[in-house]
Amino acid sequence: MDRQVSLVRAEVVENRELVPGVFLLRARGNFSAQPGQFYLVRAWGLDPPLFRPFSAFDLSQEGISFLYAIRGRGTSLLARLQPGHSLTLLGPLGNGWPQPEGKLALVGGGVGIAPLYLAAKAFREADAYLGFPGRPYLVEKFREVAGRVWVASERGQGGHRGSVTEIFTPDGYRVCYACGPREMLARLWEMCRRAGVWLYVSLEERMACGLGACLGCTVFTRSGPQRVCREGPVFPAQEVF
Amino acid sequence: MPDTSVRIGSLVLKNPVLAASGTFGFGGDYARLYDVSRLGGIVSKAITLRPRAGNPPPRLWETPCGLLNSIGLENPGLEAFLAEELPRMRELGTAVIVNVWGEDPEEYGELVSRLSLPGVDAIELNLSCPNVRGKGLVGENPEATARVVAVCRRATDKDLWVKFPPQGEVLQAARAAQQAGATAISAANTYRGLAIELETGRPVFANAIGGLSGPAIKPLSLRLVYELSQVVSLPVIGSGGIVSWQDAVEFIMAGAHAVQVGTGNFIDPLCAPKLVRGLRKFLVQRGLGSWELIRGCAHRGGISGAA
Repeated sequence: MDRQVSLVRAEVVENRELVPGVFLLRARGNFSAQPGQFYLVRAWGLDPPLFRPFSAFDLSQEGISFLYAIRGRGTSLLARLQPGHSLTLLGPLGNGWPQPEGKLALVGGGVGIAPLYLAAKAFREADAYLGFPGRPYLVEKFREVAGRVWVASERGQGGHRGSVTEIFTPDGYRVCYACGPREMLARLWEMCRRAGVWLYVSLEERMACGLGACLGCTVFTRSGPQRVCREGPVFPAQEVF
Repeated sequence: MPDTSVRIGSLVLKNPVLAASGTFGFGGDYARLYDVSRLGGIVSKAITLRPRAGNPPPRLWETPCGLLNSIGLENPGLEAFLAEELPRMRELGTAVIVNVWGEDPEEYGELVSRLSLPGVDAIELNLSCPNVRGKGLVGENPEATARVVAVCRRATDKDLWVKFPPQGEVLQAARAAQQAGATAISAANTYRGLAIELETGRPVFANAIGGLSGPAIKPLSLRLVYELSQVVSLPVIGSGGIVSWQDAVEFIMAGAHAVQVGTGNFIDPLCAPKLVRGLRKFLVQRGLGSWELIRGCAHRGGISGAA
């Protein structure tokens, strides 16, 4: 049976710019998403027409938070939100991460770290590999809940200079959850496939209804067309590469 | 209590608000959010004889107050629809209209023949999908329209709604559909539109042209419904950018018997049930017993008695 979905208004508590162009938005309310699930978010009228999909970054008794980068019209409008403003949220949506069996690695690139934090909280002792184009962010939060945490960035701030796929090695892991740029995911898949590590990736696609009705977010997989909003956003990597 | 129902051919809808094809799946996805039996009816995603995978991503592109799509008729095919989706649709407690798309008149005929089943309340012939490469739009052409409708009329006793594109010789094609035995005119599908990626200089969609919907097109579709309702005697079902009950009232005043909500479902997932409520309230507040007095009133000098 399909899980119920709700459409709710929530009050913005904080909308903090972590590094230029990247924000953590917190909203008040009672939410119950599984790690890796997402919400459709909007804070405007008719234009732009569509909600924007964001993974739940964190959940607490006070509310929910979302990590986003300014990419276009929707995220530019979100970036202007102040405490006290209201958001409309539809969710929770999508499948979320599976229950891991064996030692788990989390690999995120940029705002692709968003769906990994709840996973780190839920699946204790997971190691996290976080890559950033510029100055790293939210690393300390990961350190509070993850096993070991490694950081890579283009100029070497916070750790390794280079990409996250240079610090991650699949040895010793049974399963890996990843989110980030497609090239990063493809590279990880190469590594995990050779090492016999199960890789699950969280995909992003332009999305309209979020409920599975419009088929706007379909990706082609080895099992045929699949909806990022329903069968995903988490897919086994061997299905998509 | 006003009578909010409307009659389209042999079918009585409890209210004039339908979910438009391609935006509502087979209804079950939205049933996770609200009781879809509140709607007047649900028009299914287009069904084809064989399954179709649709177009590669991206399939969506926003424009100011508009949405371009290039889905490309992704659907499970007739067999799977009959086995899995139709039985579930029938349980949703509202009228079931099945939208179909065929490669040629014979395929349309086979589809409607095999859909002549209890629980299918009407069939909507999709003569207007903008997202199939290399195919002209049947509904832009009166002769092609007449051929498809005539074949389907022979193949089924079901009510046949004909969904037209908003461009081409639509007024003549709608008259041709009426002569060939159509039950109602659905107007309209999306406008053929285009977006180009500045970085690459290429169209954003693999098929280049997509279909434009949303509030951006509402005045255009309203004008089309206004014109259509003067040239055919069949009921007209209006669609194109409807997002509020006020929009829906405008379409009814322009001559529509019912309206379809498409992109409005994406702007507000509760758009359609809000329309149902808003329209009922409108009748009550205006002291109207039914839609008769205001349907098409824009052609008759407005609401009778209005100053």
